[in-house]
Amino acid sequence: MSETIKIVEKESIPSNAIMLQGLPDVGLVGLIATSYIISELDLAEIAYVDTDLMPPIIVLHEGLPHAPLRIFGNNRLIAVISEIAIPANSVHAIMRVITDWGQSKNVKMVISIGGIPMENRQDLKEPKVFGAASNKELIRLLKEKELEILKEGYMVGPQALTMRYCAEKEIPAVAFLAQSYYNYPDPEAAAAAIQEVAKIVDLKVDVTQLLQKGEEIRLRARDIMKRTQRELTQMKKSQEYDVPYVS
Amino acid sequence: MLGGMLVSTKRRKDLFELMRDYIKDWETFADELLESAIMEHPSWDLESCCLEPLCNVFVSADEAVVTADLPNIDPKTIKVKATNANTIEIKASMKRKIRFHDFGITHRQGEFTSFRCHVHIPVSVDMKKMKTQFKRGILEVRIPRKKGYKIKVE
Repeated sequence: MSETIKIVEKESIPSNAIMLQGLPDVGLVGLIATSYIISELDLAEIAYVDTDLMPPIIVLHEGLPHAPLRIFGNNRLIAVISEIAIPANSVHAIMRVITDWGQSKNVKMVISIGGIPMENRQDLKEPKVFGAASNKELIRLLKEKELEILKEGYMVGPQALTMRYCAEKEIPAVAFLAQSYYNYPDPEAAAAAIQEVAKIVDLKVDVTQLLQKGEEIRLRARDIMKRTQRELTQMKKSQEYDVPYVS
Repeated sequence: MLGGMLVSTKRRKDLFELMRDYIKDWETFADELLESAIMEHPSWDLESCCLEPLCNVFVSADEAVVTADLPNIDPKTIKVKATNANTIEIKASMKRKIRFHDFGITHRQGEFTSFRCHVHIPVSVDMKKMKTQFKRGILEVRIPRKKGYKIKVE
């Protein structure tokens, strides 16, 4: 399977960097947060994922073609985003290759950003952010930073696979999950997640602009949200509402 | 040909394989149907200058709850009405016009001044008892379900 996916490097990739992942998921929290970080820190496109497991799509920016699944970075940060929903039946293979590639670049830590769907999201003024980690030391670190731990429950989708593959390969990984809408773009949740990520990563990003541009982001992100919702349904995302039997 | 007998090199599929193929065909068909249902048209209509909002329908034991994401609208302009026994129409005017150009799109021309959508409710509801609320950019419409028959438990 993996020979159909390759990561094409356009620039030299830093070693020992921190990898951020913001792939389309509930409320597009990870995508909105990571795109904002890319734009605020002016990260350059350093690589892209070339795969025939994605639909035959390119994204045009300033008239030039780009792969939808791209990797940005500077000398200490690598950020992975996708401008289209990742097909449910390709998500395993793609996340495995991204994790392997991260390991080959000796990433210090993988941080994935996402959302936890809340039925009463519009009643929450400030969405809470929860954390999960690939090992006990990181859980301790998150507790020290006063982040609430997602103790029991199911995780479904790209973030779930990143956690699993990183744990297998002993790559330190943390998932940040902000309370969010399920199928509406949620810039407020993205801003809350960025603020929590900044507690464990040196990230000088002011979220004021992100909050101010909230309505514009919600207008722009309607189509990708709709496509993402379809893939989430196929991934059985609603299982995140379930209570695990074995504790 | 062996001793006048025709031997097929093709192995016949067993019942389970046939069932798997059948299920796969149905899954492909369902995927195509879903694709055409949600994406056969763009999320905008140039003629009416409307954008289609993201909507969701949730049905509980007592009511149907429809929500819609309505950014950049003037809450005073929200209109919700039943167009038939199972469909509601949501309309709202925008605070400022949106052009394709605002999204960086230059190969299309057009501007949008409002949101509009029709939402199908999959259960019988009492439209006269519909209640609406607009909070944090999200419209919520609650419509009680019609009561069915009472069955006596012996």
